[in-house]
Amino acid sequence: MSLPNDKNGNMSFNSQLSAHLFSDLLDSIIVDVASECHRTARLGLDCNLEIEEEELRLSAEARARLSDPSNGGDVNGKYIVDIFGQTHPPVANDIFECMNCGQSIMAGRFAPHLEKCMGKRDSPLQL
Amino acid sequence: MSSVKSPYTVPPPCNHLASYKLKNGLAGYTSLQEYLRIAPNGKPAISKPDSKAPGCSSCNGSHQRLYLCLSCNWISCIDHTLSHTRSSLGHEIAVDIERAELYCGTCRDQVYDPDFDRAVMCKYIREMMPRGRNGFEGISIISERSSKRRRLVPGLDSDFSVSKQLICSGDQRAKSCYPLGLRGLNNLGNTCFMNSVLQVLLNAPPLRNYFLNNKHNQDACRKASADRFCLLCDIDVIFSAVFSGDRSPFSPAQFLYSWWQHAANLASYEQQDAHEFFISLLDGIHEKEGKAKDLNKDGRDCQCIAHRVFSGLLRSDVTCMACGFTSTTYDPCMDISLHMDTNSSLSADSPNKANKSSGNNMGSSSSTLIGCLDLFTRPEKLGSDQKLHCQNCQEKQHSLKQLSIRRLPLVLCLHIKRFEHSLVRKASRKIDWYLQFPFSLDMGPYLSSSIVRKRFGNRIFPFEGDESEISSEFEIFAVVTHSGMLESGHYITFVRLRNMWYKCDDSWVTEVDEKTVRASQCYMVFYVQKMLYYKANEELSCIPISSQRDAFLPVVGCC
Repeated sequence: MSLPNDKNGNMSFNSQLSAHLFSDLLDSIIVDVASECHRTARLGLDCNLEIEEEELRLSAEARARLSDPSNGGDVNGKYIVDIFGQTHPPVANDIFECMNCGQSIMAGRFAPHLEKCMGKRDSPLQL
Repeated sequence: MSSVKSPYTVPPPCNHLASYKLKNGLAGYTSLQEYLRIAPNGKPAISKPDSKAPGCSSCNGSHQRLYLCLSCNWISCIDHTLSHTRSSLGHEIAVDIERAELYCGTCRDQVYDPDFDRAVMCKYIREMMPRGRNGFEGISIISERSSKRRRLVPGLDSDFSVSKQLICSGDQRAKSCYPLGLRGLNNLGNTCFMNSVLQVLLNAPPLRNYFLNNKHNQDACRKASADRFCLLCDIDVIFSAVFSGDRSPFSPAQFLYSWWQHAANLASYEQQDAHEFFISLLDGIHEKEGKAKDLNKDGRDCQCIAHRVFSGLLRSDVTCMACGFTSTTYDPCMDISLHMDTNSSLSADSPNKANKSSGNNMGSSSSTLIGCLDLFTRPEKLGSDQKLHCQNCQEKQHSLKQLSIRRLPLVLCLHIKRFEHSLVRKASRKIDWYLQFPFSLDMGPYLSSSIVRKRFGNRIFPFEGDESEISSEFEIFAVVTHSGMLESGHYITFVRLRNMWYKCDDSWVTEVDEKTVRASQCYMVFYVQKMLYYKANEELSCIPISSQRDAFLPVVGCC
């Protein structure tokens, strides 16, 4: 905060006063915060801090490891083998009967079929 | 024996405070109450009635940190307080008049006394109570413990030993055998939003117990209701299928059909929002099952399974900024939707930064789930166009609004608002930023008792809710993630069983490392109360068997 000085480089009385006032207000706010934090710490209200920091550390580590290209990385794509040793086609090809009309439908195409089948096509759709 | 953490610990008094108490008891505090004033912003301070600006009696300095000696009522600045302590024997305890905090001149530190805090709180109560409850919903003036204990609802506690259909097999602990409850769900055509939510429900401990203990009996339901469609029956079918031991992907076609009957406006082939589906599903279950439909505003007495598992209670306090008058309302909630702070510049960080700053790129308050919860419970100044009528002032005033959680659910769903729909710009966008989320979450700081206590300066005083039997500690068990663009994205769910993580991507169930989950872009995060989580883990070794099936005993290698 720049203050106007008179010819001798001394602050005018008013400027000094406002500087003091500002300084007092600032000090008061700082002590407010200190007092509140002191109480929080003494009463153990911040006991979760360590756990939270540990979680943050684990997440940061996880992100770092995964952004490292030398890591294997997750295999995406639909030609992977699941934990039971099975593979599946991109579009599910189980066949079953539509419970609305009785037709045989392939699983992966069931929803669009049902939509037409139930006559929802012409009603206003909400996304 | 309670595993519930106490919200705070009372620090033992220093010798000087102890001897002051021995000598004076509560007399000093009681006489001080007369001079305690509560400002409209809620802060307590001490002022003498002669309304002269307080100053140090020794040096007349009137800058900050004036202390009132509790033994002789001498007011001094900090320096003269310390010399006063040295010169007058026994005059160690003073009170900071601006903050109503005790100070020990010999220890040169702020000290704490529950009796003093109680005196301050009583002043609050006396001053504000005549104007109505005034935000004091959370204060138990009568110190007797509430006899309302909320026990775990029977039926949701797993009690597998009671179920006759149960067979425990030691074989199942073999590493090669994956726990039952893992099975792929076929995508029926843009239904990954549905599959992702179903995988969560299949692995939510209270729901799993409910359905596997046959609490929703399909025969009884069919007889009781003329309505052909019952979402719970369809969910029961899915549970039976997924826990049958058959590992080929299951098609939840009947369920889709049922749900479209219920949510006609959402019945379309297009991609839906998983959160919207989740809420719609709970709503459908409640409608069918809720016996006491909305009779009680807080939904507490609704015994439908959806409410019993997911329902919590939110508290909203609106405070007049002119006079401090507070009005409180309660609303039930089935989940909590959290905003990400879009103004925060640090949120848009790249994974590379994580390497450099060793974890403190999370400094941005809202790039963490905790930060979002802080934002959710922060007092919010309502805009000038939202001035509310204050009962006390009898006119419209600027107000502060603050949310907190009055009652936590068994299963907590935290929904991250990643989809922004701007009416102004007539456009929607997805917020792609990474959001850090913990595996263990303590919701204590967001409870109404904690928030209200904080509002009154964290005084040592019993607040309603402190004595709750329900722990505020939660463990994560499922994460629904959304990848891709707003209109054409893909949902998958990570589920945690016996501390192993599995990725459920429609038909494909694969095992993943914990790191993959931590680094994922979460959209809905599901937590369950800690003790339910650990109990469920124990029971995963036991396999319930439906009576409709042959006694199918999976053997090692069946998976």
